Amino acid sequence: MGIFKNFNEISVHFSSCINTKVTNESGKVVGKLCDFFVDYEEIYPIVIAIQYKRNGRFFYINWTDIVLFNYKNIVIKDSAEEGHSRTYPKISEKKVITSILANQFTEAIEYPPLGKVILDKQIVDTSGKKVVRVNDIQIIKVGQFLRVTHAEIGIRSMLRRLGYEKITDGIVKLIRPKSNYLTKTQLINWKYVHAIPNRNIHSNVKLNLTNDDIKNIHPADLADILEDLDSYGRGVIFSGLDARAKAETLSEVDEDLQSSFIKNESPEEAAKIIEEMDTDDAADILHDLDDDRAEKIISNIQDDEHKEELQELMVYKDDTAGGLMSSEFFEVRSEETKEEILERIPQIFDDVETIYDLYIIDTNEKLLGTLPLSELLSSKENIIVKDIMNTSDIKSVEPDDPWKEVATYMSKYSLLTVPVLKDNEILGIVSVDDVLHWLLNERS
Amino acid sequence: MPELKDKIKRYNVPPFLKKIIILLSVVGPGLITANIDNDAGGIATYSLAGAQTGYRLLWTLIPITIALIMVQEMSARMGIVSGKGLADLIREKFGLKITFYTLFFLIFADLGNTMAEFAGIAAAGEIFGISKYLSVPISSLFVWLLILKGDYKIVERVFLLGCTVYLSYIISGVMMKPDWLEVLNATFVPTAQSINAKDMPIIVGLIGTSITPWMQFYIQSAVVEKGISIKHLWESKIDIIVGCTFMVTVTMFIIICCAVTLHEAGIQITGAKDAALALRPLAGDYSTVLFGVGLFNASIFAAALLPLATSYYVCEGMGWESGVDKNFEEAPHFFSIFTALILIGAAMVLIPGINLFSILIWSQVANGILIPIILLYIINLCNDPEIMGEYTNTVMYNFISYSIVALMVLVNGALIYFEGIKPLL
Repeated sequence: MGIFKNFNEISVHFSSCINTKVTNESGKVVGKLCDFFVDYEEIYPIVIAIQYKRNGRFFYINWTDIVLFNYKNIVIKDSAEEGHSRTYPKISEKKVITSILANQFTEAIEYPPLGKVILDKQIVDTSGKKVVRVNDIQIIKVGQFLRVTHAEIGIRSMLRRLGYEKITDGIVKLIRPKSNYLTKTQLINWKYVHAIPNRNIHSNVKLNLTNDDIKNIHPADLADILEDLDSYGRGVIFSGLDARAKAETLSEVDEDLQSSFIKNESPEEAAKIIEEMDTDDAADILHDLDDDRAEKIISNIQDDEHKEELQELMVYKDDTAGGLMSSEFFEVRSEETKEEILERIPQIFDDVETIYDLYIIDTNEKLLGTLPLSELLSSKENIIVKDIMNTSDIKSVEPDDPWKEVATYMSKYSLLTVPVLKDNEILGIVSVDDVLHWLLNERS
Repeated sequence: MPELKDKIKRYNVPPFLKKIIILLSVVGPGLITANIDNDAGGIATYSLAGAQTGYRLLWTLIPITIALIMVQEMSARMGIVSGKGLADLIREKFGLKITFYTLFFLIFADLGNTMAEFAGIAAAGEIFGISKYLSVPISSLFVWLLILKGDYKIVERVFLLGCTVYLSYIISGVMMKPDWLEVLNATFVPTAQSINAKDMPIIVGLIGTSITPWMQFYIQSAVVEKGISIKHLWESKIDIIVGCTFMVTVTMFIIICCAVTLHEAGIQITGAKDAALALRPLAGDYSTVLFGVGLFNASIFAAALLPLATSYYVCEGMGWESGVDKNFEEAPHFFSIFTALILIGAAMVLIPGINLFSILIWSQVANGILIPIILLYIINLCNDPEIMGEYTNTVMYNFISYSIVALMVLVNGALIYFEGIKPLL
């Protein structure tokens, strides 16, 4: 059996290993096990060294210098050389396969010990898309090595840490042998473990956080995750996103968080994020900032048109139609044909919020009529817009209308979007999801 | 578009106002936390201290205030620098086992505190002739619904507004025209020989009601939630000092009022009605009404804030889901904890023949015994450069903090000796 003599379990609990006596071959006690160093760059990291404590000082020793490893005793070679650092110098070979954590550690110079990064810490479970606190770490024996496979959460791992697992297991086995408690351990596959850098790990180890798995999480889920994190971890994850992802996430998080995120960005970066957002969301955020900062951000916006739109929106209170509206809508001229419009859609698609309705305007931005996109699509011939557009009884709201009136109005006429008009000039459109947010907030 | 630019600028304020706005945006956690100190247990303890010992123990308020300011400053600093709650930091540094047992005892202390709040509700009700069997069940249901459906920020504000009733103690105290020289003397000249064994529960109670364990968790998460940045560390300190000073002023006047009206007349406090006598100079016959309203307000809102805060920090430390916006399936522990605290707290008060006023006092004594332990965690965490970076405690700061802990342990030891061991000898 070699190194794992008298060690029959296949899986090993991190917490059960801690405080195991470490001796050398001659029987001299060299310390007590306190942590593992693993190669974070593998999907299931292999243990490369163990950390132990003697007289309050930390040492490490390579896995290859270990002769015997079990829960009772760890024996190391007499000739083994002790390392004196609290971190482990990283091995620099190129790996083909990488895990999430591996990506996080590619720029690290030194590895922090496993427990310090994961145990008792909050992590993001990128599969369950939530923030959890890790109670234990599961490691398995593979040949002569140990590999980390899961982070464990839930009540059983908690009881194990407290030293009540065996008693509770016994009692539960007697009462309900098939209970979830015994059969379903709450494990998170290491593939989905995303560590959240802590200030203390950060101090001597650099983490690289350009992480694809975080980026692939839906902005709404990511927003929930960020809300569950502490301000530091939150900041680190957020700043690792690109401007577009930041913009999408920002639209989803709590109002309080929105302004705190924007405050932490430089005006230039903030401007980039704001540019990626829909103008109505962006205006809401800018409203919450103090004027100096808001103005600095606006002045950094590159796209003049976008800047102007924002400034216009900023004039309105955020709980009125003017504050809710987005100035990105699909404008067409009355003499355009179906084909011309359809050709134009791919170009403007990125810039407009929705294209349920086309808004037909004259040269002075005055609204002449509206036309549902569906109607245009279903017309067989290449018609001119003017001929089929709806000019009478156009449903619209005024910029100063309070949001509740807008909501009632939209509900009454079953509108998905409604144009905001002032002296018949179209300023923007309010879409149903803009008011939905207010409705939900009022309810809770 | 010049006219648009003008419109955007309409909110502009002069620079000195801006400074005040920054200060106001940071102010809050310290002021609120200090005021929650004056809850039902607090009022009862201060009243009792004044009635039983007169001015004799006034001087203990000075070291208590210093300790309170230092402890809250450390908690707030930790929150600002680390961005994490206290339970979170304890869990990450000391592991699950220590966290579990600490939280376990804290839940019990908080149950005592919750009981005290319901006892306060019952006592206030009895002033108006309402039976506790009516007032407590209704209030507990109200509190439970308030947590579930209410806006926490509004609860906090209404609570603070109600706390202004306590300002009447200051007015009442001034109207009594006490011998100010004697008051000053009693406050600033410690007279250790004047302490006797019977004072021990009162002293521990005074410490326990001023520096409560749950409050340290509360202020730290309040600071974190507010997202105060490190550059506003100073404003946060001012917030705490102002809050604590305000609170101790009220405390002093409660003691003075009770000393003048009750101690000098030789009246023993046996219930809330007696304690209300202290407000007589201000409100005359309405003093009981004033006292009753103040006590009721403080009790009912603290009865909501306390179980909620406890639930939050326990879940934070244990890694359970929390938040009133979740449902029971999502956050079972969170909902169970505050529901149980309210249910048990209210039920205990309804036990026939139980002395409400002594629940108030002894729950504060339990706080006083637990606080040195929490303090040791706080000091330890505040000295960890991995958490605090360059903002760790200075040597002098540590010296004073450890002296405070030592003093508290000494007082606790004296209490246990005089109350527990000596009677047996």
